[in-house]
Amino acid sequence: MSKAESLVPWVLVGLAVIYLIAMMAPPIESAAPMRLDEFAALPLEDEGRVKPYDTLARNSLMIISSRQTFVDEDGHTQPAIRWLLDVMTSGPLFQAANQQQGPKFALAGEKHQVFRIDNPEVVALLGLKRREGSRYALAEFRDRLDKLEQEAKRIAKKDPKGLTPYEKGVHDLASHLQLYIKLANWMETLYIFPPSTPDEEWQTFQETNAEAGLKAALSGVPTMVMAYARNDAKTFNAELEAFRKQVGELRPADVRRSGTEAFFNHFAPFYQCTLLYIFVFLLGCLSWLGWTRPLNRAAFWLAVVTLVVHTLALIARMYLMNRWFVFVTNLYSSAVFIGWGCVALCLLLEKLFHNGLGNVLAAFCGAVTMLVAHHLGSDGDTLALLQPVLDTNFWLATHVTCVTMGYTATFVAGFLGVAYILGGVITPWLSKATAKTLTQMLYGVLCFATLMSFTGTVLGGIWADQSWGRFWGWDPKENGALLIVIWNALVLHARWGGMIKPRGMAVLAVVGNMVTGWSWFGTNQLGVGLHAYGFNDTLATGLVVFWVTQLAVIGMGLLPLRFWASHETLLLDKPTNLEDKPLVPAVDKRHRKRSTKRGEASYSPGPA
Amino acid sequence: MSETSIQARANPVPVLPERAPSPRLSRFRYLRKGLRALASLRLTVFLFVLSMFLVFCGTLAMMDHGLWATLSQYFRAFLAWIPLQVFVRLGQVFFGVPTSWHVAGSFPFPGGWTLGAALLVNLLAAHIVRFRFTWKRAGILLLHTGLLLLMLGELVTGLFAVEGVMTIPVDGSCNYVENTDQMELAFVWPADAHNDHVVVVPDDLLRQGGAIRHEALPVDIDVVRYVANSTLTEDAPPPAQNLATRGFGLETAVLEQPPGRGVDANQKRDMPSAYITLKDKKTGQGLGTYLVSAWFSVPQKVEVDGTAYQMSLRFRRSYRPFTFHLKELRYETHHGTSLAKEYASVIQVIDPEHGEDREVTIYMNHPLYYQGETFYQANVNVTKAGEFTGLQAVRNPGWPIPYVACTLVSGGMALHFLLHLRDFLRRKVLS
Repeated sequence: MSKAESLVPWVLVGLAVIYLIAMMAPPIESAAPMRLDEFAALPLEDEGRVKPYDTLARNSLMIISSRQTFVDEDGHTQPAIRWLLDVMTSGPLFQAANQQQGPKFALAGEKHQVFRIDNPEVVALLGLKRREGSRYALAEFRDRLDKLEQEAKRIAKKDPKGLTPYEKGVHDLASHLQLYIKLANWMETLYIFPPSTPDEEWQTFQETNAEAGLKAALSGVPTMVMAYARNDAKTFNAELEAFRKQVGELRPADVRRSGTEAFFNHFAPFYQCTLLYIFVFLLGCLSWLGWTRPLNRAAFWLAVVTLVVHTLALIARMYLMNRWFVFVTNLYSSAVFIGWGCVALCLLLEKLFHNGLGNVLAAFCGAVTMLVAHHLGSDGDTLALLQPVLDTNFWLATHVTCVTMGYTATFVAGFLGVAYILGGVITPWLSKATAKTLTQMLYGVLCFATLMSFTGTVLGGIWADQSWGRFWGWDPKENGALLIVIWNALVLHARWGGMIKPRGMAVLAVVGNMVTGWSWFGTNQLGVGLHAYGFNDTLATGLVVFWVTQLAVIGMGLLPLRFWASHETLLLDKPTNLEDKPLVPAVDKRHRKRSTKRGEASYSPGPA
Repeated sequence: MSETSIQARANPVPVLPERAPSPRLSRFRYLRKGLRALASLRLTVFLFVLSMFLVFCGTLAMMDHGLWATLSQYFRAFLAWIPLQVFVRLGQVFFGVPTSWHVAGSFPFPGGWTLGAALLVNLLAAHIVRFRFTWKRAGILLLHTGLLLLMLGELVTGLFAVEGVMTIPVDGSCNYVENTDQMELAFVWPADAHNDHVVVVPDDLLRQGGAIRHEALPVDIDVVRYVANSTLTEDAPPPAQNLATRGFGLETAVLEQPPGRGVDANQKRDMPSAYITLKDKKTGQGLGTYLVSAWFSVPQKVEVDGTAYQMSLRFRRSYRPFTFHLKELRYETHHGTSLAKEYASVIQVIDPEHGEDREVTIYMNHPLYYQGETFYQANVNVTKAGEFTGLQAVRNPGWPIPYVACTLVSGGMALHFLLHLRDFLRRKVLS
């Protein structure tokens, strides 16, 4: 490897680190006269948990608009916190003031085009014209609100599962409006004043006003909101400073936590991870076309850097929820954690087998699970509170983590199977030795998957026995986990009994993907049992698409060998030459030495 | 001894004259052959496939029939009849099949008991045929023993576990557990200041219909109509169409519902109702036709020969020698939300037999173990009639089995895979 080649990985890793640091830097608005980003980091209590205003703003805007930013009337993209403040200064108080004293306040919250209305019938109901982006301002359909309310009342009585797209559109818009109204009526609905003693609760403006009088109620956030409405940066900043100091003395932990959360929101580590994983995936694919060694090394180390960010983000979430070792609390976090596990497992495989496949699989699984997580997280707070029965860190940390690791390993085994089949059918990459290595990888991962899913399922049983006296409840989700355990055991037994050869194992591992998909998302759709988190249309469709792709792969795997592009290479008992056919096969040390002697390329993904 | 055996092997083996195999030996051989067939890994894999199919269909069936019905019809059954409709339901959830579709017919499939037994036989046969102890196989042996125990544990649970519910009002007491799977028609009248006489008619007898006569009963009963699962109307039915002539039945009527919903996500159970005619035991004279229903939360009064009886169709009760008194019911929500934070019942356990009189708090994930039974905080009911706590009462003699079993399986698996991993890594290092 030339010196230039050996530098490539380090340059790319360095660039990635610089990129990440740049993303951590405070936003540009921090230079603006009104220090909105510092306001965004202040804590309040909402939905039973303390969070920064930033999270409230982003999550609310995400629900209403499917985005975390909005475009103002001048066409500038603005942060969610500005939208929140605009909504807070468009409420009844400011409207009343405008009515009495003329147009004194801008009521900008009503003018921002944020309400996303996709269904054309709902657009027509509100007397609007369809437009690109499908986002509308409240001011545009204010006069048709009574019609919407009428329809929403009618629909509220129906079974939510049997709604037509139009009815669902009305239902969603109505709930989005309710959220808007909640924010606009912040004086009654938002718990903005921290308790002065640990026994007390957070209070709204109204409660403080009733208890401690108007003077106390006007200090802090209300003054800042008024100053924002009057565009008075000096008062805003001064009050911000004073209030932050006051809260910091009363609730130091809350201030630290909400500050971290605001930073977390701003940095969006999971989004950065998605981008980096996609980049790693592209690098890995490029390495097959040529320049294999340096690109593979770069891909590996870049994946490691991304995994570090991913890990830190998981730890940050635990800190924010104050639940250590609890990785999974809802479907969103299960996707994030499964992604993490897949990447870690695949990189470990890469380290053991050095065949470039681990990098590509790691990046692929990482990117896909992140996208799934992004979709799952788009309907609210991903750090939300848990049901009482789930309120136990021990079982969440053991049972849920183990089961999810089981899903993870089964998926990794499944995608190794996909690699075996696609690599064999489409490309001439799959030699006999490569197939053997892949089978070894698959076998090891399957064993791990069986162990994890069994242990996890059993721990769940023990939890159930301790919580409601039933070791095994035959709940759909439990049955799903059981299916994974039996399936993995089946593949292993079929292998031990000589019923399947490597190819059969690969095909069955892909079936394992379908089983895991069922257990992860399918069982939730049935609306039965303790683990029913609610029905989700897109999830059902996504699962079907996943099943179809897996079936296609299985179909390819069952093609007679003579139709495989690797038909001839499969007969060879040595790995494909690295430079000739860059789709990288297994290289164990013996081969590596020999090929190095002959002056052919060999590589290892790490620094020697 | 060892020397001679070495000697014997070193020398050429003398050719023995051919002899017909003894009938005993050949019988043994057949036994071995049979065992070997039973021990086949192909059979294991086949049984795994059948089990997965059963579990999958059972899960789908829960959408229509609820958890409990599925449990007894699929998993705790020798033969399951799987309706084709379950696949239509799958299509409706995932593939956009119209919700109006309905396909009749079902096919038989080995149930949970059958498959479990077959797997058990397969496992035992495998170990009899291939048994030899080496360290390499120690993990497998351990994990299979654990699996065996696990299956037996589920068997014990299926056969012997009893689950019930204890509902106690705040400041009230309760000394019985209700079995919500079965109903009974109860007649209660006072015996003395502290005790009541109770005579009950099992639900099954009502279901059969016809006349019910028993010396312990204060009246004779004729079942006019029995509805296995019902709801009640809010309005009184027109008198001409009403089967009931007295009691609560004058104000409400029964609407028949499809039976077998069992428990769904909302813990709904079949709620039976029945129209029964009561007759005087001596004269055979009719005392009127009453509507009894699981929906009525208070008993109806029936007067016979000057004695007032409380009559109700209620969940079957089994009495305990101890009493739980609910001193306090705590249910908190997270501040500013309607999301429950905690349920807790503060209970005074009063047990004259064991001389116990102490206070315990039962809450989520913290049950009370008492007299071989475990009481879990299941729910809290706040109604117009008052606040109630619902305790789940479970008596399962097989409860420790899964714990032992799981330790064995997990330990066995870990041992086996670690041994393999060690070999694998060693080979990698050597190569």
